[in-house]
Amino acid sequence: MSMYILSSDEISQLVTELQASYAVYGPQVEPQTRQVFFDLINDATALDLEAPIPSMPVKEILFPQMERILKYKYDAETQSVEMARQYFEQPKVLFGLRPCDLAGIQALDRFFLGQEFVDDVYLTHRRQCLLISNTCLHPFPQCFCVCTHSGPDADEGFDLDLTKLADGYLVKVGSEKGRALADAHNWTPAKPQQLSEQKAVVDKCIDLFPDMATDNKAWVSRVMNRITTGFIKSETWEYIGDQCLECGACSFVCPTCSCFNIEDAQTECGECERLRTRDSCSFEGYARMAGDHNPRQPVEDRRNKRFFCKLSYSQSKKYLRPGCVGCGRCQWVCPGDIGLPNVVQYIRREITGGEA
Amino acid sequence: MQLMNYKTCVCNLCGTGCGQFLKTDGRQVFGVAPLIAHPVSKGKLCIRGWHANELLNTNERITQPMIRENGQLRPASYEEAIALVASRMQQFDGAKGEIGILASARSSNEDGYTLGRLAHEVFGTRLQGIGAEAGHRKSMASLEHAFGYPGAHGSLTSIDHADYILVVGTDITRQNPIIGGNIHAAQRRGARVVTLSSSRTQIAKLSTKHFQQKPGTKGLLVNALAKALLGIRTANRERKANIDQMPGYSDYVASLRSISSVALERASGIRYEEIEEEAKYLEQAKSIVILFSSGISGLDRPTIDAITNLALLTDRMDHEHSAVIPVAGISNLQGSFDMGVSGEPGNSVFKALASPDSAIRALFVIDHDDGIIRDRERIASLDFVVYSCAYKSAFMDLAHVVFPLPAFNETDGTYTASDRRVQITRKNVDNPHKVLPGWALFQKIAAAAGHQWGYANAADVFIELANNTPGYAGLSHQQLSQGFGQHWNPQAFPNSRRRKFNAINIEYWESPTTPEFPFALMIGKAQHYWHQNNLMRKTIVPRREYDQTLWLYPHGYIEISPDDATRLKVKDKWLVNVRSSIGTHMKIAVKISPDVQSGTAYIPYFIKNMISDFLLPYENAYAAGEESVIPIQIQE
Repeated sequence: MSMYILSSDEISQLVTELQASYAVYGPQVEPQTRQVFFDLINDATALDLEAPIPSMPVKEILFPQMERILKYKYDAETQSVEMARQYFEQPKVLFGLRPCDLAGIQALDRFFLGQEFVDDVYLTHRRQCLLISNTCLHPFPQCFCVCTHSGPDADEGFDLDLTKLADGYLVKVGSEKGRALADAHNWTPAKPQQLSEQKAVVDKCIDLFPDMATDNKAWVSRVMNRITTGFIKSETWEYIGDQCLECGACSFVCPTCSCFNIEDAQTECGECERLRTRDSCSFEGYARMAGDHNPRQPVEDRRNKRFFCKLSYSQSKKYLRPGCVGCGRCQWVCPGDIGLPNVVQYIRREITGGEA
Repeated sequence: MQLMNYKTCVCNLCGTGCGQFLKTDGRQVFGVAPLIAHPVSKGKLCIRGWHANELLNTNERITQPMIRENGQLRPASYEEAIALVASRMQQFDGAKGEIGILASARSSNEDGYTLGRLAHEVFGTRLQGIGAEAGHRKSMASLEHAFGYPGAHGSLTSIDHADYILVVGTDITRQNPIIGGNIHAAQRRGARVVTLSSSRTQIAKLSTKHFQQKPGTKGLLVNALAKALLGIRTANRERKANIDQMPGYSDYVASLRSISSVALERASGIRYEEIEEEAKYLEQAKSIVILFSSGISGLDRPTIDAITNLALLTDRMDHEHSAVIPVAGISNLQGSFDMGVSGEPGNSVFKALASPDSAIRALFVIDHDDGIIRDRERIASLDFVVYSCAYKSAFMDLAHVVFPLPAFNETDGTYTASDRRVQITRKNVDNPHKVLPGWALFQKIAAAAGHQWGYANAADVFIELANNTPGYAGLSHQQLSQGFGQHWNPQAFPNSRRRKFNAINIEYWESPTTPEFPFALMIGKAQHYWHQNNLMRKTIVPRREYDQTLWLYPHGYIEISPDDATRLKVKDKWLVNVRSSIGTHMKIAVKISPDVQSGTAYIPYFIKNMISDFLLPYENAYAAGEESVIPIQIQE
């Protein structure tokens, strides 16, 4: 693997240069609230590679909360339909992805592109997309990627990967696209000791994870085993379900949640537009079937579905990794107290009989 | 540097006032993100807040002024519509009660204030009212008596620090989910959370202690808790505070002393010993938060008085983390009250519409887009009706002139949450149809009638309203833009340091049920119904969730306990005949719920037929909100 060392200025130059032919997205801090978003970059100086994990996952860009995907108009006289798709390809760079968000994109790729059916909307957004990841130097509150094999550094799926070292950014090339970008520049090759420095940075970051996260590492796999085999008491699910306020937030902020809903709405001028909106398994209407049958009507059954999706072996087989990437966002946004790390704790408590 | 696609906003879909980001390119809203730094919502949103983008994308908007001609609404220019309204309104005499104003609890303070000016200065009328105001006025009257000003005591952020939290009634995880979530978080960190509720609501399940009292006895139970607290105080002289100096103390104490534990238990189903145990925790708490719902499903006055009295009796109300908060279901119910557009007794537009011999001939309406229009026939027979709203609704059918309004993110405006927190929402998307904001529309109507106001923007309006509204002095758009708003200042009210006990009567509620009508029917809430049903009907996912309930129970449902279902030999979704003691009747499906007490029944109030045919004859019961009880019989 080729490696280079780039100064902050060179990184900034790279952003400006990429902006000429790509829409460049990256972490930025909203000035009033100090909240971090992975948003379109207007001015290269706004990119903040040291900003904490973005508050919303990067799937915002590839799989928006709501988008118009189709417009159509039926002409009754000629009995013809005019249709026009409403999503368009745009070359883009996702600059400074946290490894958890990169893992999320890989899971979405396998869901939308990796099976029998290829989702054209997602494919259109995903095509011509350059992925540049950024190693986390320290964990942020709620992070637990060490438990889900998705951080603090990325090991696959990126075109370029950055790690901030003492003398600049170590840049790893991870793909042909990344290779082409590197070849077009006269970047300084990295020295071998800089690779060891990168390993030390990652090790130090892992040491900085709170005990709850590192301690939970083994428990996440035990919980996966329990969830896969179904050996979890219904009281535990009820305890979890009682705390669910059915807001859907966990799904909306999850880098791997891919469920959506389709709605056709009439516009003023007699046209119809087809909207695709994100959906969540926490909603009662989500699993309703024709004839009013609902296999998941009680809230605890719906919660159990979500954690099955995130932490069961059968789902992991589809994503080729656990469905949870350890970003901890669900814990931030949950008005109950059932973010995924807590659910692991509750199941762990059940296994140990309340101890630890 | 501002972000390209994320703009801050205050959620407008209930009275909590959560912070949110809208994902927008300045033309359309594509999504929502939570706002982590917001002191109340702290990065959490409910199903409504998370789907605000769906509402803001609806095609069911009113986009231009319209005038009814030959029975049909036709597009009109602002000039034409405003001139018509100004000239028609001059034909009515406001002073004689011919013009009524239906204000909105969702309007910004700027719109509310200028609507008040339009009504009082231009139309010369005081006949006015806000939707859902009846319940809130009781809360305001009780709080003003107790604390010296009409508004919440303390802040919603107190929930995060208080030792003791009492939730009276209110299905708060449904109505104001983020407040519910904060209460749950408080319970997890060790606060004692106590719920008084006749049904086992979600917050009841998440509480440290749930008193599941019989219907109609919440106030009695609160008074009993006060009596028990007083008992501890008398024994522990050191904690006997100066509250006995407050006006009304001796009458209050005398009333409390008269509570009989036998009668209490018979009426409420709760033993006094259990309440005495609870009082020990209350006595030890240094900071106490009491929450109750206010507005359309609020409590009756005696119950609110019991609550405010208990708050004063604890002697903890000066603690920085103590609070008594009337929780509103609508975003600016408190602000609309502050702006002076509520219908004071004697000047209520609702009363005028309901009395056949009132003088009312014209009506000026903002929003009022609930699923149910009360007094519809009377409104249809009026000479002139003007309607303004951002969204299409059934009220348009009754209007002679219709004006569009911007959505809450299409114009600058301030909103006052349940705890008096005044927050600003900045315009963050274009206003494609050049729709005038409410204040600008009212200014033009006033100008057409010869009144010049001279506001250049919403900030100007705010400067004036801050000078004229007690508590708002010192606030401005600029200042509210920094941080997350500010509570209006109670010290602007001269009596704000003079606390008083409300007078109470101890009444042992006798259930109106009889052997013939053995069930106590109450008006409950359904999962996905919120006050402005019309708004949720214009979303996608929340609407589907609401429909989910309707699909399962297309004709509505009556919730009863599993034991009662066994006794009646009925199963879930079976149709039953429900007959009330005054003879109204309906056929409705049964929903069996373990959270309901035997002998009680709940129906949600969102289904039209149920309201109009079955409930409306019970005017008084309906007005009593959460405490109303109707005796019924249920037959297979």
